[in-house]
Amino acid sequence: MMSETIALPNPSLGDPEVFSVHQDLAGLEVDWFKQAQEQAWATYNSLPTPVRTNEKWRFATLKRFRDLSGYSLATTTPAVADTIIEDSHRLQNVAGRIIIADDNLLTDIELDPEVAAKGVIFTTLQDAIRQHPDLVKEYFMQQSPELGSEKFEALHVALLRSGVFLYVPDNVEITNPFVAYNWAVEDKGALFPHTLFVAGANSKATLIEFQEGTGEETEHLVIANAHLFAGPGSKPNHTIVQNWNLNTLSLQLNTNNAQRDTESTSTLINVGSAQARQEVHGKIFGSGSNIELNALNVPSGTQEFDQRTLQSHVAPNSRSDLLFKNALAEKSRTIFSGLIIVEDDAQQTDAYQTNNNLMLSDRAEANSLPGLEIKANDVKCSHGATTGKIDDSELFYFLARGIPRNKAEELMVFGYFEEIIQKLENSELAEYVRDLVQHKFKI
Amino acid sequence: MSSTPDINIERDVGDFHYETDYEFDAGVGLNENTIDYIVDVKGEDDWVRAFRKKALKTFQEKPNPTHWASKDIENIDYEKIRYYLAKGQRPSRSWDEVPDEVKETFERLGIPEKERAFLAGVEAQFDSEASYSNMKEELAKDGVIFMGSTEALKEHPELFRKWFGKVIPIGDNKFSALNSAVFSGGSFIYVPPGVKVKQPLQAYFRINAENFGQFERTLIIADEGAELTYMEGCTAPKFETATLHSAVVELVALKGAKIQYITVQNWSANVFNMVTKRGMAMDDAEIKWIDCNIGSRLTMKYPGVVMRGEGARGEVLSIALAHDGQHQDTGAKMVHAADNTTSNIISKSISIGEGRSTYRGVVSIPRQLKGCKNNTECDALLINTNSRTDTYPAITVKGNQSTVQHEASVSKVSAEQIFYMMQRGLPEGEAMSLAVNGFVNDLIREFPMEYSVELKRLIDLEMEGSVG
Amino acid sequence: MSTLEIKDLNVSINGTQILKDFTLTIPKGEIHAIMGPNGTGKSTLAKAIAGHEDYEITSGEVLLDGEQIVGMEPDEISRAGLFMAFQYPSEIPGVSIANFIRAARTARIEEGESFSAPAFYKELYDKMDMLKIDRAFTSRSVNEGFSGGEKKRCEILQMAMLQPSYAVLDETDSGLDIDALKIVAEGVNAMRSPDLGVLVITHYQRLLNYIIPDKVHVMYDGRIVETGGPELAEKLEEEGYDWVKHAVGVPA
Repeated sequence: MMSETIALPNPSLGDPEVFSVHQDLAGLEVDWFKQAQEQAWATYNSLPTPVRTNEKWRFATLKRFRDLSGYSLATTTPAVADTIIEDSHRLQNVAGRIIIADDNLLTDIELDPEVAAKGVIFTTLQDAIRQHPDLVKEYFMQQSPELGSEKFEALHVALLRSGVFLYVPDNVEITNPFVAYNWAVEDKGALFPHTLFVAGANSKATLIEFQEGTGEETEHLVIANAHLFAGPGSKPNHTIVQNWNLNTLSLQLNTNNAQRDTESTSTLINVGSAQARQEVHGKIFGSGSNIELNALNVPSGTQEFDQRTLQSHVAPNSRSDLLFKNALAEKSRTIFSGLIIVEDDAQQTDAYQTNNNLMLSDRAEANSLPGLEIKANDVKCSHGATTGKIDDSELFYFLARGIPRNKAEELMVFGYFEEIIQKLENSELAEYVRDLVQHKFKI
Repeated sequence: MSSTPDINIERDVGDFHYETDYEFDAGVGLNENTIDYIVDVKGEDDWVRAFRKKALKTFQEKPNPTHWASKDIENIDYEKIRYYLAKGQRPSRSWDEVPDEVKETFERLGIPEKERAFLAGVEAQFDSEASYSNMKEELAKDGVIFMGSTEALKEHPELFRKWFGKVIPIGDNKFSALNSAVFSGGSFIYVPPGVKVKQPLQAYFRINAENFGQFERTLIIADEGAELTYMEGCTAPKFETATLHSAVVELVALKGAKIQYITVQNWSANVFNMVTKRGMAMDDAEIKWIDCNIGSRLTMKYPGVVMRGEGARGEVLSIALAHDGQHQDTGAKMVHAADNTTSNIISKSISIGEGRSTYRGVVSIPRQLKGCKNNTECDALLINTNSRTDTYPAITVKGNQSTVQHEASVSKVSAEQIFYMMQRGLPEGEAMSLAVNGFVNDLIREFPMEYSVELKRLIDLEMEGSVG
Repeated sequence: MSTLEIKDLNVSINGTQILKDFTLTIPKGEIHAIMGPNGTGKSTLAKAIAGHEDYEITSGEVLLDGEQIVGMEPDEISRAGLFMAFQYPSEIPGVSIANFIRAARTARIEEGESFSAPAFYKELYDKMDMLKIDRAFTSRSVNEGFSGGEKKRCEILQMAMLQPSYAVLDETDSGLDIDALKIVAEGVNAMRSPDLGVLVITHYQRLLNYIIPDKVHVMYDGRIVETGGPELAEKLEEEGYDWVKHAVGVPA
């Protein structure tokens, strides 16, 4: 299962040979997949780099995206494997675990035998393509965020050689979460993690992804995709804890496809990266579904978190609810651009979108673009965006109880985080995230 | 005379036109010769010629904003439009001196009657130039200036030039550039320090000719502590081909001044209405836009306030009603450029049939300012299953000393509400009208009485035939 | 010296004077009530002595057991021993009642002392039982989604847990039904002791049927205009506030 070590210099993304080096490295001789990669490489080269006058990149900082030639394919298995494996224990009670570093599987996949016996597939994407080509093909890149990163999505598809595939068969419910770790190790490395989560009809499962860097000084480019397909009546739950190191440029392109009567929850926790752009497209194809999209973002320093979301309602009588909360410290920037689209036939839709920005510094900047496009009349749709500081009357209430100002502010900020943390169903994860975000904001 | 003067916002009332002989006609199409023609006819100074030519260049270079706006603007054929049409008369101070067909036009629209009833001054523009301009004498004694822009440019060049193009630069957008190149008509108002004009000043814009572009330019300056209310109404007859209205309105409220600018836009459904409106509010000044968009094919208009001085306030209250074939793309821009500035936006839109209403807004607190506040509420009401509404706000806040709140909701008239009213004996259409009036009621109350009554009536009219 | 002494207090909000040479002394062990019509400055008094920054104390003194608390930060005033039960308690999303009270208690720990969590929870639960507050409330966010009665009981719970020397109850009876009112009053009565001075601010007399005050003061236009025993409250209930206006020479 482990990739071989190839003794070649790492090719830069600007090197025309990078794609053929990648193909040798991936060594995946499955025709449809090879063709998809070749096509994507051509698409990547034909598409222009986004510009700021494009509404989908409004307010974004594009400097880092313009030239990716400073990054190169990470070709070798990291030398620090033992430490990484040791650190890949954020949660104790899991149904399965996959540890990937620099797009290489680091150790054998763990999968609870009882879970495996129920027909659950939890493996790397490469392995799944080899073992279950038709199943993967049915879902692979069948949906796009369509939120502006088409060029980078193509680059991701062209150069991806690693990923996580989780398939939960119909009527199977798994309580413990499946956990995937993605580590960035090599300096200047470009990573393309891909996640495909297929929840069969009436199934229930949780997938948690941890994204981290091993060092503080290294630089990375990460273009990750995660696609969730929720079958009829299923209840999938997906969380990504983004904590790449502070020199990382990361892109996360997610889709969330819901058939009828599903209840799915997707949560993004953003702590790391120098600049993180995330696109999330929740699309509801079936009636009676309920999609929740949540995010907790805690930028500081000069971090920029740029999030674009789309809730598209194609089918009638479904619900989607989005809550993205930012707490901005120091000189950080955020962009939230959300859109709810209710198509002509999607009557009786309930769709909500909320973006809250808590400003913790006089140098932070929050941009909020909450949008609606409603083409059906029998709907309940609303959005709200608030940007402000800690509430003065709440602060006074703390003070009036004798709690000192800095402690009061800390408690209020932590309280602000809780709304998202308490939505995390897994208590171990909630505790981990609580520590992580609180640690960053300890006053 | 009725107790509520007829302000003729019913579109059908405006649907007539007279064959008119124009002494001056710049012909169709737009190039440097068009500019020279306009400048020569109007006898303008060289700096105006240079300004117009610079603007023409900007207009020609700027692409249509189709990456975000309706593709319908690509259907404006600039080569088929006539940019200047005038009868070559100075505006009269008495209706008796106004040429007959023009006078009849405004009489049919009830303008002279309104002037007697409740206005402090009226300016009436027929195609490119003002045909009538009058103001109550006591205002003139106070030093208030109210005249057409064409005259003001000649009579008060120093006042005009000081602020002209300063609030809305030529290159602000493609249509402000177009207006800057070919502007004609519009109002110029100056209110001296401390003068509070109690009754509203009114301008009436009338397009009479087919394939015509009206490009009025309005500049209003309220000096320190001055106050005024300005109202504008617009109509055009229904023609087969598209007509363009592209105005630029600049407001300057100096320290402590208050300007209230009310628009009832009721262009016929073939008019492209591309208007740039912005005010600059200095210390403790207040600018309030009350904007009601009922007519036109496509309206793109986002009144704005730049709060330049500490304690300045900006407000936009907007009602839009989009029928089949109409797109009301309206909104507001609030730029906070000083401490303790506050702004408020309330937008209500109603989409009927396949009508589309869009709210587009900008709220910006771009620097580290203290105590700035914005509150925005956008409510959309969808009447029919295929009605459409969009909301696209953009909010930027820097620093932790300001608060911004934005809320938007979309709803339909509830079936229960309609049933309740029908059970009490109201026909469905009337019930619907009542519900819609209820939806906009709190905003309509902000209009002067004379307008609000008419607006309600108009909404009733628009709702006719929307159900069943 | 065991008094809360308010001397010639003048307070303005945004330049408008609300309290005018307000003077009142509450000895420890006593319960005083302030009654008065709306807009007379009752809530201003509570907020001002609690140190709210919007309430500008232009002159005067507030001495808590002899210590000047004017000019102190609100949290210092609280730790000095003054508790205010809010008329409109704030909702604090994401902060549980237990954590909130714990933070307030921790802030009072002297150097060298340690905080015992088990003892804290035992005490908290006992006091919740006394106030008939469901124990499940400890993990709920402070006041969030609480009914009016729950909010007021939560205020009294905090008072019980923080054991102040003086408590100001600002319109604690507003928004309460009679059952909730009785529970709140029982809680206050249970805390009655020679070590606690209480100032009850109320518009209506009914709370004073359950919390019997030692003294009743009538406030009007920013100052005390009449002082008496519990019978004064009854008089106000029967006759309304109009006679107060007459008494101070204001045409009704």
